[in-house]
Amino acid sequence: MVLLVVPAVGAVTAALVRHDLAGRIAGTVAAAVAFLATLPLPIGRGTRVDTGPALVPWHQVDVAWVPSLDLRFHLGVDGISYPLVVLTALLTLLCCGYTLWRVPDPGRGRLLVALLLIIEVGILGVFLALDLILFFVFFELVLLPMYAVIAGWGGPGRRRAARMFVLYTLLGSVLLLVGLVTVVGAAGTADLVQLTGTRLGTGTQYAAFVLLAIGFAVKSPLWPLHTWLPDAHTEAPTVGSVILAGVLLKMGTYGLLRVAVGVAPDAAQGAAPVLGGFAAAAIIVGGLVCLAQNEVKRLIAYSSVGHMGFVLLGIATLQPVGFQAALVGNVAHGLITGLLFFLAGAVKDRAHTGELAKLGGLRETAPGLSGLLGFAAVASLGLPGLAGFWGEAFAIVAALRTGGAYWNVLGVVAAFGAALAAAYLLRLLRRTTHGPASPAVLALDGPRLSAAELVAWAPLVLLIVALGLLPALVLGPGAAAVDALHGVVGR
Amino acid sequence: MTTDIAAETLKLPSLDYAALAPMLILFGVGCVGVLVEAIAPKKARFPVQLVLAVLGIAASLTAIVLAAGTEKVTAAGAVAVDGPGLFLQGSIAVLGLVALLLISERSLERGGAFVAQAAVTANSEADRDQATRGSGATEVYPLIIFSLGGMMLFAAANDLLTMFVALEVFSLPLYLLCAMARRRRLLSQEAALKYFLLGAFASAFFLFGIALVYGYAGRVDFAGIHAAVLDSPNDIALLYIGLAMVAIGLLFKAALAPFHVWTPDVYQGAPTPVTALMAACTKVAAFGGLLRVLYVAFERSQWDYRPVLGAIAVLTMLVGAVLAVTQTDIKRLLAYSSIANAGYVLVGVLAISKAGLASSLFYLVAYGFSVLAAFGIVTLVRDADGEATHLSRWAGLGRRSPLYATLFTFLLLAFAGIPLTSGFTAKFGVFAAAIEADQTWLVIAGVITSAIIAFPYLRVVVMMWLSEPGESTPAVSLPGALTAAAVTIGAAATLLLGIVPQPLLDMTENAAHFVR
Amino acid sequence: MDGYLGSYATLGITLLAGALVFVGAFSANRVLRPRRPSVSSGKFESYECGLDPVGGDWAQAQIRYYVYAYLYALFAVESVFLFPWAVIFDRPGFGGAAVVEMAIFVAVLALGLLYAWRKRVLRWA
Repeated sequence: MVLLVVPAVGAVTAALVRHDLAGRIAGTVAAAVAFLATLPLPIGRGTRVDTGPALVPWHQVDVAWVPSLDLRFHLGVDGISYPLVVLTALLTLLCCGYTLWRVPDPGRGRLLVALLLIIEVGILGVFLALDLILFFVFFELVLLPMYAVIAGWGGPGRRRAARMFVLYTLLGSVLLLVGLVTVVGAAGTADLVQLTGTRLGTGTQYAAFVLLAIGFAVKSPLWPLHTWLPDAHTEAPTVGSVILAGVLLKMGTYGLLRVAVGVAPDAAQGAAPVLGGFAAAAIIVGGLVCLAQNEVKRLIAYSSVGHMGFVLLGIATLQPVGFQAALVGNVAHGLITGLLFFLAGAVKDRAHTGELAKLGGLRETAPGLSGLLGFAAVASLGLPGLAGFWGEAFAIVAALRTGGAYWNVLGVVAAFGAALAAAYLLRLLRRTTHGPASPAVLALDGPRLSAAELVAWAPLVLLIVALGLLPALVLGPGAAAVDALHGVVGR
Repeated sequence: MTTDIAAETLKLPSLDYAALAPMLILFGVGCVGVLVEAIAPKKARFPVQLVLAVLGIAASLTAIVLAAGTEKVTAAGAVAVDGPGLFLQGSIAVLGLVALLLISERSLERGGAFVAQAAVTANSEADRDQATRGSGATEVYPLIIFSLGGMMLFAAANDLLTMFVALEVFSLPLYLLCAMARRRRLLSQEAALKYFLLGAFASAFFLFGIALVYGYAGRVDFAGIHAAVLDSPNDIALLYIGLAMVAIGLLFKAALAPFHVWTPDVYQGAPTPVTALMAACTKVAAFGGLLRVLYVAFERSQWDYRPVLGAIAVLTMLVGAVLAVTQTDIKRLLAYSSIANAGYVLVGVLAISKAGLASSLFYLVAYGFSVLAAFGIVTLVRDADGEATHLSRWAGLGRRSPLYATLFTFLLLAFAGIPLTSGFTAKFGVFAAAIEADQTWLVIAGVITSAIIAFPYLRVVVMMWLSEPGESTPAVSLPGALTAAAVTIGAAATLLLGIVPQPLLDMTENAAHFVR
Repeated sequence: MDGYLGSYATLGITLLAGALVFVGAFSANRVLRPRRPSVSSGKFESYECGLDPVGGDWAQAQIRYYVYAYLYALFAVESVFLFPWAVIFDRPGFGGAAVVEMAIFVAVLALGLLYAWRKRVLRWA
């Protein structure tokens, strides 16, 4: 598949080219080609046949890799993975473009670009893999480059943050691997197309689901396994944060939806209330913690916990609407949080501080920046008409529609969480953009936005608006696949 | 009277020379090597020995390839030539050849990595003199050839006595080789003495175990023991104690906890090329012997030894992984990593199935190549006092020489079992085999320890790439052609076995049948 | 005391008895002896015989003795194998092959001797 080869080649060129700028350009070109390659994917997708297997990829590549170990190189794209694939390619392109303009300390931008492209290969691989072992291979592939990005280009506390990130993620991977091995051992195949819809024994399903769910929950991250996230996001360089929040977290939710729910539907049904409870708790905890944060990036990081809580709540309802909510929520969160991190990075680079107490009055000195920050914050709190709204609203609707006192309570709690989100984001805006200008803001380096920044952010802004007005952009391609998945669960 | 009995029972055993050729060639070349030492002029010895050794191993390898497919027991039941035996012999020959390249490198240090006279008192005037000047002993070549021959015999031995003889034949040269490091003489001598004393203890255990097993079964050949395991009227305790003692001897050689304590000291003190040889070839031979004993002789008591050895495997992986975290010397770190890796191989061995056998064989070869390349790179990182093995000295190596830091990073990732390296394929193979054999607990322990041991590796990687090079960061020497070739072969094999492991997997699967 | 392991019990009892005799003798010594603590240094000498010991307790032996001992052991073992071979080699079925094999065996040992000679191990100086 072109999609994986192009970034890989790009990474190698970027790393090998002696000249720094040339390397970065080569990497960006590769990212652009990869992004363009994702666009025509929906062309030629077949119409669904109801009697067919539950997972029908639009396109697929299926090559035996190591026959004697039963490893297959099976890739494919369908409605659930397609939006995420496009999102990944887009965000990577934007990040590479961003590094053309600005390289975080300590330089060596071509290496950073190369690492970003390797991460892209890994994440795309996760979204495309239709073989469980291959899925795990790509899942692991992401870990080390991300570690290097945080540890190499991060802030002052990067060592600790990077270590936390690796510790948690490795733990998650271990559980994930054990879970996958359980599934493969029980089913005798690692092929997702065959696995989705086959009924394993109940005991196996529960064991596998618990292991997989915890593994993915670390990545997502679901409260109370989220503690690696704030440090990692805060210390990572801007592009690292964007990739981390924008797409890396989606590997967790995507995995939960595709692998955990798809392979162990009965267990998912049994565990759904627990998962929903945790998700609701995450929404509330994320909101409350955000209210107490004093640092821009940390605040945005914790807001991710809340937003991913909505996504997980959507999955936990096991309703088609819930799955849709998860899909839209994933994409919307990727766009919005990506933008937020870009903006927070821009603010920090200019003001040399991220402390809310030392910021203020940005509106006066840098109107463009504060305007965009306001837009992103409003989008993040779920204003109708912008992308953030649909995911949260659908998740709450799905929870209420599931019925029963418990789910109603969860729905109400989630709605309250959405209100909390409004509270903390407005607090963020009040502290940074309004009020008298602080010394740090008055001494801003270059208050105007550069052309490169505008180019990098414009697509995000446009897509947030577009998705807000037309959620069908994501819902459309995903509908068939979601119905099929729901069919598996409901059967 | 006695002579008459002897006449009746003593018959000339039939020898299949073609099947024995790989070992005979090596032993012959070893003898010629001694002859060269005795009569060739000093200057000519190194090239002659090198050519002789390479040709000998190559000829032996050819004989192995020619013998492929044979399945027979020859030399009066003393030697079994079968799939696993030939595969192990082939791996020992190939890995030995690569190790020989490292051993023969003379451009890094004048006269090579060995001293001329290991018996000179350490730190004396004469010792310092021979460390800086003087060419190294060329006796290492016959020693290595004998050692490799012993390993091959060990992997093919079909009775416990032959196995014991082979054990000694391959161990004694290694004890000597350990003492011959050019730098840090005291450490080297200490390593040799430790290895020798502990090795002697292990051999004694092995021998006593043979006696007890003989007491139980009345035979020492594996087929006879196999037949006796269920049917012998003797006290079963004899069998258990005997098997335990035989296993102790084998576990010692394979460096499995709690019989691993010699490993870090010896790996650290021995000349690095010899460490590489031990980590790659000795491990292959030791597991070859263990596999044959467990699969051929004691297969029917697997329900007795499996839990015990399983516990040992878990302990080994845990000890290797946890203690690796605290290491500050790269050679000790690699030593603990080799202990942990031995634990993973044991997981595959304990599947007691064809898949288990095949995956263990694959693991041994994959690990052997990686570890050879890793130690090859260790020999390159050096300053005026020889190799700089302390980890703090590796800080910032990525800036000084990106190529070798990249290679080393890749090898560490292979040890950690990251996908697309041979480490992943190998681990996946043994774990899959173990799961198939319902040994899930071993796999869970294996996966958890893999996560633990990733940390020390990661620490080294971070150290190399993310720290600023300090004053004391040594330069990486330009490798001579031999080291460069060895490192390239090792790294390339690591990569290839990660991406296209199928050919070797096919080979191991075809080979995975013991003759009894 | 029967069975294969039974004979080991005898060995064990013997060992136990030996240990008891040893411990008993020393305990008896301790109980019976007069107790006269003294500060004079003579009591702590290695040999309480009135003469001051000379030198340390680690004596160095010439390494050459070991080499000779080795060479002797080698050829002693060789002769151990030669005797039974001498009795058997002219029996039917052995003959030529047996002679060649023994020749190889002796040659290998001779090779060792040659090596030792060339390395000037055999000269005492």
